[in-house]
Amino acid sequence: MTDVLLPVAIAVPLVAATLPIALGVRYDDLGWPVAAAATTALAGVAAAIVASVARGDRLSHALGGYRPPIGIELVADPLSAAVLALVAAVSLATLAFVRVAGPRGNPFYSGYLLLVGGLTGMTLTGDLFNLFVFLEIVGISTYALIAADRSGASAYASLKYLVVGTVGASLYLLGVGYAFLATGTLNMLDMQAQLAQVGYGDPLVRASYALIVAGLGLKIAVFPIHAWQPDAYQRAPDAVTTIVAALVSTASAYALLRVSYTVFTVEFLAASDAITTTMLVVSGASILAGSVLAAMQSDLKRMFAYSSVAQFGMIVAAIALANETALLGAAVHLVGHGLIKFGLFLGVGLLAYGYGARRLEDLASVAREAPFTAGSIAVLALALVGIPPSVGFLGKWYIGVGAVETSLADGGAAGIGIAAVIFVSTLFTLSYVARLLERFYFAGVGLPGDHGEPAVADGGTSGDDTAARDETHERSSPRRVSPVEDAPTVPGVPDRVPPASLAALVAAALVAIALGFAGFGLAEWFDPFLTEVFA
Amino acid sequence: MTAATGLLTSIPPYVVLAVAALAVLALPRRAGHAAAALATAFTFGQAVLLGDGGTGAHLATQLFGFDVVFFNVDQFSLLMGVVVGFLATAAVLYAYGTEAPTWVTAFALIYVSSTVGTIYAGDWLTLIFFWELMAVTSTLLVWQYGGAAVRAGYRYALFHGIGGTILLGAVVVHFAHAGTFLFSATTGIHPAATVLAAIGIGINCGFVFLHTWLPDTYPRPHVAASVFLSVFTTKTAAYVMYRAFPEGGMWLAYLGGIMAVYGAFFALLQYNPRRLLSYHIQAQLGYMLAGFGLATYVGEFAVTGGFAHLFNNVLYKSLLFMAVGVVIYRTGVEDIRDMGGLWREMPVTFIVYLVGAASITAVPGFNGFISKGMVLDSAHEVHNVTLLLDSGLLWWLLVLGGVGTFMSFIKLGYYMFFHGSATLSPKDATPFQTAGMVLAGGACVFFGVFYTQLIELMPFTELILSDEVYFKPYSQSHLTESAALLVAGFVGFFALKRPLGWLAHHMPDVDAVTYPAMFYLGRASIWGVTELWAAVDRAVMGLVGAIEWTAMNPREALGRAGVDAEIRTGIGRSVLFLTVAAGVALFVFVLS
Repeated sequence: MTDVLLPVAIAVPLVAATLPIALGVRYDDLGWPVAAAATTALAGVAAAIVASVARGDRLSHALGGYRPPIGIELVADPLSAAVLALVAAVSLATLAFVRVAGPRGNPFYSGYLLLVGGLTGMTLTGDLFNLFVFLEIVGISTYALIAADRSGASAYASLKYLVVGTVGASLYLLGVGYAFLATGTLNMLDMQAQLAQVGYGDPLVRASYALIVAGLGLKIAVFPIHAWQPDAYQRAPDAVTTIVAALVSTASAYALLRVSYTVFTVEFLAASDAITTTMLVVSGASILAGSVLAAMQSDLKRMFAYSSVAQFGMIVAAIALANETALLGAAVHLVGHGLIKFGLFLGVGLLAYGYGARRLEDLASVAREAPFTAGSIAVLALALVGIPPSVGFLGKWYIGVGAVETSLADGGAAGIGIAAVIFVSTLFTLSYVARLLERFYFAGVGLPGDHGEPAVADGGTSGDDTAARDETHERSSPRRVSPVEDAPTVPGVPDRVPPASLAALVAAALVAIALGFAGFGLAEWFDPFLTEVFA
Repeated sequence: MTAATGLLTSIPPYVVLAVAALAVLALPRRAGHAAAALATAFTFGQAVLLGDGGTGAHLATQLFGFDVVFFNVDQFSLLMGVVVGFLATAAVLYAYGTEAPTWVTAFALIYVSSTVGTIYAGDWLTLIFFWELMAVTSTLLVWQYGGAAVRAGYRYALFHGIGGTILLGAVVVHFAHAGTFLFSATTGIHPAATVLAAIGIGINCGFVFLHTWLPDTYPRPHVAASVFLSVFTTKTAAYVMYRAFPEGGMWLAYLGGIMAVYGAFFALLQYNPRRLLSYHIQAQLGYMLAGFGLATYVGEFAVTGGFAHLFNNVLYKSLLFMAVGVVIYRTGVEDIRDMGGLWREMPVTFIVYLVGAASITAVPGFNGFISKGMVLDSAHEVHNVTLLLDSGLLWWLLVLGGVGTFMSFIKLGYYMFFHGSATLSPKDATPFQTAGMVLAGGACVFFGVFYTQLIELMPFTELILSDEVYFKPYSQSHLTESAALLVAGFVGFFALKRPLGWLAHHMPDVDAVTYPAMFYLGRASIWGVTELWAAVDRAVMGLVGAIEWTAMNPREALGRAGVDAEIRTGIGRSVLFLTVAAGVALFVFVLS
């Protein structure tokens, strides 16, 4: 009950967030060192928490010495520990890219640390209202970060997110209020017991769940209330997109999973077909629409943004399926997808930073210029498709198997439908990933400087031909990708991208593959949580 | 069982043969062939020795969790082992004398090895394994020769691949119904697998219309390879046919009768000596199957007749292939019209040919006379369709086949050894060729004279030699029958020589239809698949193009559909969506 690591994990980034602003009066470039120190410390604390959860402990801490259910409780179990590890790792790894790519300035780092603190809080809290507070901290810091490069487009995207995000958070708060009215408590575990007494059919309880799902659904960006998300991801500075895309929706999806299973429980979901069916229909639509819209995009960031709509559709579907295998899939995909998206947005950011390439057309033969960056992106994109062995495959596989199991168990069509939708979505994912890989590795044959076709067929009069051909290329095919003027050079690596960020990207790709081999280990890791939920 | 017999039962002969095949490749030519001859002689000797109390299911074990018997010794497999081992020894000597490349002998040995494996299999799983291996190794033996043999070998491989797959299907069906692979557990193959088994084995037996691979393949490879090929695949198939249908059936008997006539008739039309002999394989298979088919209707006598004919056929058929092979080897000519008068040049070969021809045409004093007489006697008891002379259709078919056999061997001998004066003056057979031929030919004469020795090797010996069965091959009726056949043969050949010559140019076999049909079917399916794929490809690419255009120009696409509206979701619309979503969620969750 007195595990002090939990409040420390939240306090470190939150307290550190004040430093850049406070000390910024005297020192100009203090933001990055402070952020680096704070996130490193957080990573250490998170590692300690994970280690102790791995020993089988369930960490819990009563804030300020007030015992739950009155006081606020912080909890770490396998699920929250896994998300916490993701938060700590991504926030630390992103900093390397932030340092070179910006945005700069002390206030930005305050916002960054605030975001990290909020995410950590969302992960660890065991109290519904406290969850709202951290949700708002995350939301507000995200609004600020998105607009951090002060361009018009990002300001609009930020404003859009601000308005709908606030409405969404309010809906969540309203839902928590209803639940409080019905049970008189805010502590998650306590409310779980109280809800069972009140009865799952109680209108107040059901309305509460409806509002919480709607509110968190917006934060997760489920179709059709996803409209803020592609704008926000596309317009935000690259480094901001990297952390926001990897963590913010993930934390919200984690919150939905936590509220659905720890507070409302499987029995509540099983008690009402209408609730789960509605959620399945919406998530199915989300999976399809997200995949189709992603396949239609040419801007890389927007493409992966829509892809997130589809992937989180799968997680919400797995939550609504209320099946043990599917829930394992949801937990795996939550972490795995966060990791994959971190890598993908980082890679896209690196290509933009080193080569000024932001759209599919700009990427001709980029694999020749930047083999490591392109290779890592390719690996991560294939993991996103769900090619084994990768963590993306595991998550999708478990969700799909769980969906089929559900259908076999109750004879309903919903599970099979979700499995079919996941399959179709995989095809769409494959289609846009294939476009990307085609650009990386095959496009640009015959461009000047290409080795495949000699630019000059024979000597003598070929000068005109070459000129004519160049002209044709300029009109019909994309120009060959080339590094921007002051792109960094790394000895021994052809990629003209920042080395530390490249290392993080390669590491992300390797971890995504390594986790793919750890299917049994992951199932083992989440097993205590699943047994508790499906007891 | 003595200790020596116990030791013998623990050595599967096909392993010895496979090792010998490697030895042929590794050792010098002479030593390698000696090793090969020793291995085949071992196979022969082992089978002879095991005949004295060595029967039983040896090397019974489990494979993939199924009960299997790798070395099943009973009367039937023993008689096969005896004759295959004996003949393979003669054939190895012959191959050595014919300058066969070591690769030919090596492939032939591994082919003999898989044949012996099939023979000694005690269960369907082991059998199908060696059966498929036979198809592979014999194809290699054909391909080794190169040239025209490659295409023929390819067709051969197609036939046997399909046949093997069908038999595999039969074995699977058998297991699904019977629950075991072991021969000892069931009487033949399960009735549910009858059709599959009949067709699968029938392809190797040369059933009418499934036989075209026979005359297509066997004339093309090395002459020594032909000797091996002519004996093992088809005869093993007949043996397996008996394993599958030990109770026979009239369908099998009549099929055999038709094969006898069909094969003999087409043999008559041939001018390529090996092709002529290949058609006779089909005809002779007909006699064996007729014998096996009458297993229930007539009894053990018919089965014994079938097996005796199988046994003898192995000897004289290979003998004929050897004799013809010597002529081809010495002259390089593959058309009998270009030969002639060779009896003066090649007296040894001529005599050997006479022995083989006398055996296959069932002249008294040669082994074919004994066994063909047994089959004909059995067929004589079938009267469900009675024709002339108070004899049944089956008997008439077999007799007609016999007349055709006479005619075609008179033709073959006439063209090769007489037929004008000698235009060629080749040398006679080499010593080792002669040795091989004397072995096989001697056996033909021996079993024709001392026919009780033949019966001793057969199953149901006591029954045949008992007083119940009146088994007197040299009775007056048999001799009359034989003389009638001989006369009919001579008269028929010289009377019909010209019409037959005309027919030979105008009478195509079914392969004139089936091969082009298969070829164009294959082409059409490839064209169909390719075009279908291309159509799918065009449709998909068109769809992708349309989607891509829509994605690039969403406003215009909407405009074409008649909708002119802003499609981006602004802030206001987002909030509206969120509110509606929350409202719907409330409505559904609360009111459900």
